Amino acid sequence: MNFLHDLTVKTFRDGLLNKKFSAFEIVKEFFDYIEDKDKEINAFLSLSKDTALRRASRVDVALAEGKDLGVLAGVPLAIKDNMLIEGESVTAASKILENYIASYDATVIAKLKEAGAVFLGKTNMDEFAMGSSTENSAYKKTRNPHDLERVPGGSSGGSAAAVAAHMAVAALGSDTGGSIREPASFCGVVGLKPTYGVVSRYGLIAMASSLDQIGPLTKTVEDAAILFKEIAGNDEFDSTSANPPGGAYGNELLNPKLEDIKKLTVGIPEEYFVAGLSKKVENGVQKAMDLLRGLDLNFKKISLPHTKYALSCYYIIMPAEVSSNLARFDGVRYSRKYDADKLLDIYLKNRGRGFGEESRRRIMLGTFVLSSGYYDAYYAKAQKVRRLIKEDFDKAFDRTAGGVDVILTPVVPTPAFKIGEKTEDPLAMYLSDVLTIPVNLAGLPAISIPVHGMYKNGSYAPEKSLPVGFQLIGKPWREADILGIGQFYERL
Amino acid sequence: MITKKEIKHLADLARIELTEKEEGELVRDLGKILGHFTELNRIDTSNVAPLTGGTSLSGVFRDDEPERTSDTGKGKEQFPESFGGFLKVPKVFE
Repeated sequence: MNFLHDLTVKTFRDGLLNKKFSAFEIVKEFFDYIEDKDKEINAFLSLSKDTALRRASRVDVALAEGKDLGVLAGVPLAIKDNMLIEGESVTAASKILENYIASYDATVIAKLKEAGAVFLGKTNMDEFAMGSSTENSAYKKTRNPHDLERVPGGSSGGSAAAVAAHMAVAALGSDTGGSIREPASFCGVVGLKPTYGVVSRYGLIAMASSLDQIGPLTKTVEDAAILFKEIAGNDEFDSTSANPPGGAYGNELLNPKLEDIKKLTVGIPEEYFVAGLSKKVENGVQKAMDLLRGLDLNFKKISLPHTKYALSCYYIIMPAEVSSNLARFDGVRYSRKYDADKLLDIYLKNRGRGFGEESRRRIMLGTFVLSSGYYDAYYAKAQKVRRLIKEDFDKAFDRTAGGVDVILTPVVPTPAFKIGEKTEDPLAMYLSDVLTIPVNLAGLPAISIPVHGMYKNGSYAPEKSLPVGFQLIGKPWREADILGIGQFYERL
Repeated sequence: MITKKEIKHLADLARIELTEKEEGELVRDLGKILGHFTELNRIDTSNVAPLTGGTSLSGVFRDDEPERTSDTGKGKEQFPESFGGFLKVPKVFE
């Protein structure tokens, strides 16, 4: 199985074009492997073997006929189960959508299809992307491939685990408060949360619309850049989507130049290195910084003073948006699990029994902070604090005032925790997101990259050592900076 | 911080049916979470404008030309109940 272990988006394409293998062979091999391996990992909620093999064959035929192949021709991907693929089941890991079949392609799916990608299946997640461990799935518990007693992180835990366990070459996830970066850090893979608005959310089941963003989970930073370039861009079906100022992303994403990277200044915010940070994470981030010094990057201490308020701010704004977005699941329009004679009873039963505990908790919290008498004290206050958090970043990035280009921080305060460790205490679970949330509130791009030496080339860590990631945060639209540093880091 | 009566009222607003046990758990959990939020009162925001939404984009317009952008018939097959192609709901008024 070592062969699948070594496959990246890049090496897959090289192998395919050099006729080392056919797309059909590889896709078939992935399904054989998943059948065995996913019994212990539980990363997938559904598989689409027939469609995937058919699409792979088409790639092989096109190649034999000498046709131009898309950038992702035949690449086997896993997709988080909150993105719509026409004709396929989409549950958001909720009972309330148990029987729902998507009637159209999400924009990211349409773009990936256009590029020739093959979808192996849909991955497990926290219900409606609400959670940090994938334990809130209504269907199954996904295990961390590095230690089966531990969580893969969440909410994109299935996607991260699938890539870490080599059950897909790469995957898509979504990130509202850290749901791509946290599982990436826990599973030892790369996870990119792009600038707010750069990837269309049309066909993504909405959680908190002012924060949600789709991004790739991959084995290498190079792969993250390739996938990101394919899914980015303005879409008329998502009015918050936009191209970067100056037009579409250019070649600097894929071919960063060392002389450009060397000019960048990296900020280290003191507020991210506080009590509660585990020794292992602190050492890991230190190790990453030491290696990066080898690139001649400048480092500078900075301050983001409102960081500690981000968690409270987020857990007011996000549930408020959740309570509104999830109002559409009423047992009438999408699917009905519990029948009743009266309309009100259909609502009450389907929402009461169809939503899991965490979804109910957040809908209730959101309803509370938006309700008359509490709105100003909670929701309006949080929106003001959100501005202060964003202004911290604006100041830190202001070059005219001696600011920096990129900010380096830990991703999560700890490595992956044990299954069941935090399920009884919602607040303890929320604290897993404390270092990833500010980025979403400010709409910035950020990437989680595995620290070298903690794992080897995406394969299982020796001696049960758990992976740890470090986070690079960029200016809006400057994915090229964080992907650039990342690509040089992984060559060190 | 939050009472059982308030939880019942919120559940009614959110159209969520809860058991007695779930109501009790929500009193406990939301109380604890809302308690954490009080830290925000330490920040002076009297001169701060709220930041609404995740983007500073505004006024995104397109030409006012009719166009057929998607198949409006799609999705109907997913209706839990339908009548003549329309979504069917139980009667709202007694």
